[in-house]
Amino acid sequence: MRAFRRKGSGYEASFAPEEARLIMQLTEQIGAMLTEPGAGDAAVLRLLPDAYPDDPEAAAEFRRFTAEGLADRKVMNGKTVAGTLADAAVGTSATRVRLDEQQAQAWIRTISDIRLTIATRLGIDRDDDRPDPDEPLGDIYDWLAFVQESLVVAMQGRL
Amino acid sequence: MPELLEEVQLDVDHAEQTVLGSPWVTIVWNDPVNLMSYVSYVFRSYFGFSQKEADRRMMQVHSEGRAVVATGSREEMERHVEAMHDFGLWATLQKADE
Repeated sequence: MRAFRRKGSGYEASFAPEEARLIMQLTEQIGAMLTEPGAGDAAVLRLLPDAYPDDPEAAAEFRRFTAEGLADRKVMNGKTVAGTLADAAVGTSATRVRLDEQQAQAWIRTISDIRLTIATRLGIDRDDDRPDPDEPLGDIYDWLAFVQESLVVAMQGRL
Repeated sequence: MPELLEEVQLDVDHAEQTVLGSPWVTIVWNDPVNLMSYVSYVFRSYFGFSQKEADRRMMQVHSEGRAVVATGSREEMERHVEAMHDFGLWATLQKADE
């Protein structure tokens, strides 16, 4: 992977086919998790947290009005990300991926959602928690941080 | 230019309610996942903070565990919380004096 940088009015990186396929799979898994959530699933609760920590009634009410829209937007963001990777996923070598501003907005949100989900699975809930070095998901978690950081830094230059 | 012709009575109770009627805050909580650069970017791009102010609030989240990022009506704070959840940030709202 070559990190994101500004290119024209958008952003550009390059991804190996297996890297592109990995991110596409992760977006599909998040999409499935959000459209058929198991009751009380910790990852879904982290993606759609309680808005009123000390008021269960108000929290439930807020959830009733916002959860579906939030989940829909997260699923759409994941689809947008997958769409931008479609060419790279079927390439024979590292392929350029170009994003416009709107696609970049979907990317940073989706990477955040994926990393939050992985963190829940790995039990990372304090600042000094680190993934188990033998845990493959831990490598993906760190790599996605690098991908997101490069994009955020490129986007910051446009604010 | 307006000309004042009649005596104006102030409805004091109502006026006080208006002034004090917006005591809600949006709070962003620390999490071990979201990158400092990302949190700062969200504060800057969404709330329109300067780089310096966004960094200050991000550091407050990081070191104190939470920061108030907006104050206003309950409805407005609910919109902000929902937007923060869009970004994957852990945000809540509450009355300012709680």
